Amino acid sequence: MPSIALGELIQIFRNRLVLVTMLVLPAASSAFYIYLNQQFTIVDLGGVAAILVFLVVAMGLYATTVTTLASRRQNLFLKRLRSTALGDAGILTGLLLPVTGITLAQVAVILTVLGVVAGGPANVLLLAVAVLSTVAMMLGLGLATAGLTNSPEHAQVTTLPIMIGTLALSGWVGFTGTEELTLFKRLLPGGSATELLVNAWNGGTPVMDSLVLLVPTLGWVVVAVALAARIFRWEPRR
Amino acid sequence: MSSTPVIDVERLNLAYGDFHAVKDLSFQVRRGEFYALLGTNGAGKTSTLEAVEGHRLPTSGTVRVFGQNPRDRRAVRPRTGIMLQESGFSPDLTVRESVRLIGSLTRRTDKVERVLDIVGLTRKAGTKVSQLSGGEKRRLDFATAVYGAPELIFLDEPTTGLDIQARDDLWDAVDKLREDGSTIVLTTHYLEEAQQRADRIGLMHEGVFHKEGSVVELTRTLPATIRFSLPVPAPEPPLQAVRESDGTFLIETPDLQKDLHALLRWAQDHAVELRELAAGPTRLDDVFRSIGSDQTTF
Repeated sequence: MPSIALGELIQIFRNRLVLVTMLVLPAASSAFYIYLNQQFTIVDLGGVAAILVFLVVAMGLYATTVTTLASRRQNLFLKRLRSTALGDAGILTGLLLPVTGITLAQVAVILTVLGVVAGGPANVLLLAVAVLSTVAMMLGLGLATAGLTNSPEHAQVTTLPIMIGTLALSGWVGFTGTEELTLFKRLLPGGSATELLVNAWNGGTPVMDSLVLLVPTLGWVVVAVALAARIFRWEPRR
Repeated sequence: MSSTPVIDVERLNLAYGDFHAVKDLSFQVRRGEFYALLGTNGAGKTSTLEAVEGHRLPTSGTVRVFGQNPRDRRAVRPRTGIMLQESGFSPDLTVRESVRLIGSLTRRTDKVERVLDIVGLTRKAGTKVSQLSGGEKRRLDFATAVYGAPELIFLDEPTTGLDIQARDDLWDAVDKLREDGSTIVLTTHYLEEAQQRADRIGLMHEGVFHKEGSVVELTRTLPATIRFSLPVPAPEPPLQAVRESDGTFLIETPDLQKDLHALLRWAQDHAVELRELAAGPTRLDDVFRSIGSDQTTF
């Protein structure tokens, strides 16, 4: 498993397209967003933090997960890995570990910059829990989406609904909160995760109330993984 | 001495939807044996091989490798090397990185340099897989299969795309592994490779064994052949010689030695020169052709 992760890391840094999608795009949009928010305060800081996290996990982690898995399947690398002594869980962990690690590092850097520029989060621990649960959800959704994706090119289409959807939802919840349409916003993938991120950054909400928000996010993890277990394919369709 | 077969397949069935690719197939491969799985296209040999490798779940029946379920990778794969039919390497990794990665995942120990030397890819060690030729990719595949000299090696059409030198080198490497006791399972389109090397052959047709046995057993049922051409004019040849469209004569015989002797004596007696004389047992090609002709009678 560590050797697969190392191999993936080498490939990420050799493949400029992946590097750009994964690192530059989310980082550049985050920088732009922080700059914009400094000029005209559009949302409170918690909202900004949540939107930044989703920029990175949706555009970086989620899209890269789907593209990577589709590409490794298409060139039969997944089949090759399954010809070794390593189990399926180990293979997926090895493949997704580097992109997950890079995402977490990226989120940490961006949120630190936001904290330094505009003021830090109220509850760092809760923030970490919120980020981790969001990452888990996007990984699960990525696995499920990869099951419906035939090729890396196809991933540009198949990732759009969830990538745009979660980004829009995080913006919507970030801007307008969950006073209205509460249940609807919280149950959609990313809604309660955004609210949790906002609460963790802004503070002022009892921790127990915030922790309840983990339930829909973790529910989506379960749904996504169950879906992935049914539709994920290890070999290209013949 | 353990007499447990390395591979034990019992009443294997594989179906894809309505298509029944493999039907009630049973066979065993013993330790140290070289077993060739041959067949026409679509005969079910790749499906069978994939079930034995553990890549495919049987629809019914059992497959045992080293007495274990081949899908139990942790138990079976450290003792098994697999050369796939299609490459499946990451284009952005180098040859050395690919061998090191796949090699380490087999849980066997070996030196990357040693394996690259066996397949003649030492000079390409730093080259990205995307820049290799088709033949070089096959050799890379072979390198990962023989990493750590496993007890059981699957070779799925190993020499396709290889030049003659590379082919000879590959078979030399296989011979060395056999000397050390490795069991080999081969599929190939090059019948002479199977004929020369296999201890036993399973000849598949439409999901079942058309024939299974040693090369001698497979070819015994078909007559041997004698071919020659005659100068013109020449007396009518003896025996049941059939004149082929290219002017050569063909004799099919269940008793090669006796009929060849008769032909040579006839030629001697009539002072006739037998040109392009060739005689021999039936080759696997002919066994294959006989399957094909069976089929057309349906």
